[in-house]
Amino acid sequence: MSSDGSTRTAEATSARCLLCSVGCPVRAIASGPDHYVPDYMPHAGYVGLCGRGGVLVELLDHPARLLQARRGGEAVETAEAAAQIAEALRRGSSSAIIVDGNTDTDTLATVGRFAADVGARWSLYVPPSDAGLVHGLDTSGCTFVGPEELAEADAFLIIGDIYATHPVAAHWIFEAKAKQSRMPLLLIADPATATAKFATGLYQPALVVGETARAVAAVRTGQAEGLADGGALAGWKEQLQKAKRPAIVVGAEMGYADARALAAEVAVLAKSIGATVCPLTAYGGAWGALRTASANGGICPIEILSSPVDVLLVIGADLVSALGAKAASNVAAANESLYVGPMPNRLSDLASLVVPAAFPFETAGRALLGPDRPVEFEPLMAPPAGVPTVREILQMAGAPGDVRADVSAPCSGPEMPAAADEAGQGEGIRLALAADSIHFDDGSLTGRASWPQSVRGRPLLLMAQPDAEAAGLGDAQTAVIEGPGGTATVEVVVSQERRAGQARASAAFAEVRNVFGWTWDGARPGEPVCVTVRKA
Amino acid sequence: MPEQATAESVERRVVLDLDRCIECKSCMASCYYGHGRMAGVQFVDIGPAVLPIVCRQCDDPACVEVCPAGAMQRDERGVVSRGIFSCRGCGSCARACPFGVLSLEMVGHQIAKCDLCEDRLQRGLDPRCVAVCPTGALRFATVQQIEAEGLTVIGGRVAGDHPIRRR
Repeated sequence: MSSDGSTRTAEATSARCLLCSVGCPVRAIASGPDHYVPDYMPHAGYVGLCGRGGVLVELLDHPARLLQARRGGEAVETAEAAAQIAEALRRGSSSAIIVDGNTDTDTLATVGRFAADVGARWSLYVPPSDAGLVHGLDTSGCTFVGPEELAEADAFLIIGDIYATHPVAAHWIFEAKAKQSRMPLLLIADPATATAKFATGLYQPALVVGETARAVAAVRTGQAEGLADGGALAGWKEQLQKAKRPAIVVGAEMGYADARALAAEVAVLAKSIGATVCPLTAYGGAWGALRTASANGGICPIEILSSPVDVLLVIGADLVSALGAKAASNVAAANESLYVGPMPNRLSDLASLVVPAAFPFETAGRALLGPDRPVEFEPLMAPPAGVPTVREILQMAGAPGDVRADVSAPCSGPEMPAAADEAGQGEGIRLALAADSIHFDDGSLTGRASWPQSVRGRPLLLMAQPDAEAAGLGDAQTAVIEGPGGTATVEVVVSQERRAGQARASAAFAEVRNVFGWTWDGARPGEPVCVTVRKA
Repeated sequence: MPEQATAESVERRVVLDLDRCIECKSCMASCYYGHGRMAGVQFVDIGPAVLPIVCRQCDDPACVEVCPAGAMQRDERGVVSRGIFSCRGCGSCARACPFGVLSLEMVGHQIAKCDLCEDRLQRGLDPRCVAVCPTGALRFATVQQIEAEGLTVIGGRVAGDHPIRRR
């Protein structure tokens, strides 16, 4: 018997992990009365499961879960709360709904119908880099592949640290490498990353808006003037063209801040060299969510987030953690804010009405993991007794129950417009976000689970050696980042390969995101800013 | 499909292919959740990489020899395991381990210890860390199987106290 005492395998259920667009099958098995652990049985195309996927099972019975609808601290019946949501949205002169984009497409389409019925505007929250990638590629006419088809490729251009952001996607790249050990694996990303360890060629873009897109353009044209160390890109196009089945793998990383321009350049390059494109989004359901929003009246989130709203319903998303306090100030300033979701967060603390809902992985549904990758999934487990799904809450509020999303048409917008890089200019170190394989997105979900907390309980600052020396800092020391939005205490990781004057900090911590001071008329969410770093 | 273990296959060990590890820590997470939130897989930062280290199930284990409570035992099949109720969390085993695979950090006054996922072995399945590894960096195999593929098993003979560099 294992030390957890687990010997039971009955009651296994299957589902998909949507904490990235690989969409791994995930299963929970009983390991005692009312206790479940992730199972690792080969099934349904299973090739592994990263730490984030395992965390889902812990969240199922998390002690902090919302279980009772509350208005101003007083318990209310869920049906009554749902009716109050509809009434409040109808009453408002400027009502809006923002829903987390990692939700099944039929629920999102139901949100669209509900919004129309109550006269509210609605939008999605997906990471801006996901939105840029989808909008830049969806109508491009590229030949898309899923990660599992990468095993057939014989040369790779990889953009982003995808071994960290999408660990299981590495499975098929290693399969391809097993067939051809000298296969080119050209990487545009930071050094000292998991992916860089395996690259045959590396280009480290400067943390300037548009720089990654310019690097991809330079691969195509051979014109690398204006790029720092652009000579490193020489010969990349020839290596890719020489291959029979080249593939471009592009990850949506917060920090490049130019995902739409990057995606457009990827499309042009792919067509010019006959490469397939494998786009990997941070939100597993981002592709379907954006198509659903596009087809069902969803608007650009900036329209809601940058102008006053009197009644705001937020479903699932932790906008304050994801966007920082400044960019989400409008959310906090709404006359009446309503929250529907499975867990409390910085937004639910401000809401006058809070309604518990099932996690997206506790419902059956459909998602689009990529342009040609529709999946139907089952619930990992049933939600706790008395906790309805988002769809059920919307039905209680008067929405129709039979809405099915049509995700067949590609979308090209709406999207947050690109910003100039003015806000990133200035003195100090240019800072961007760094994703990892432990936490999901802003960390508001995985930060509540015990394993991610034990492995990465506080944020890292990945900085260049000259910058660290100048600040009197060494590896594993504690530093304070001071930026336009505030300060954050971090642990320093020094790299000799990293470009001086630029650094990255863990994306999965609200205090780090807040440092950026993102706004809608300056540096927009995801963009690098200049900060100072000092010893704590 | 992962290799399927059998009752006699405890001669196999969890082996890391250094050329495949992407440092995703999936192995650690699976071990943590599968063993009552105590991870027997540890990670060591060797500068250029952060690599998982797993119990080698030694033939003559120092951890068993030094354990004052008799909690560490090597059974007839070669699996070195820690008795839940006997372990006092004194840390002797962690200090004695020449490979540094036992963490001094204790959970519930106990040392986390790899037992090769005995519950899975009994069902003919690979240990969790091996089953979950997306790149195949962790294998459950005998030295002979690995060497038959033209790979070199390193770390068999050790000196010094660094779990990786001493190799």
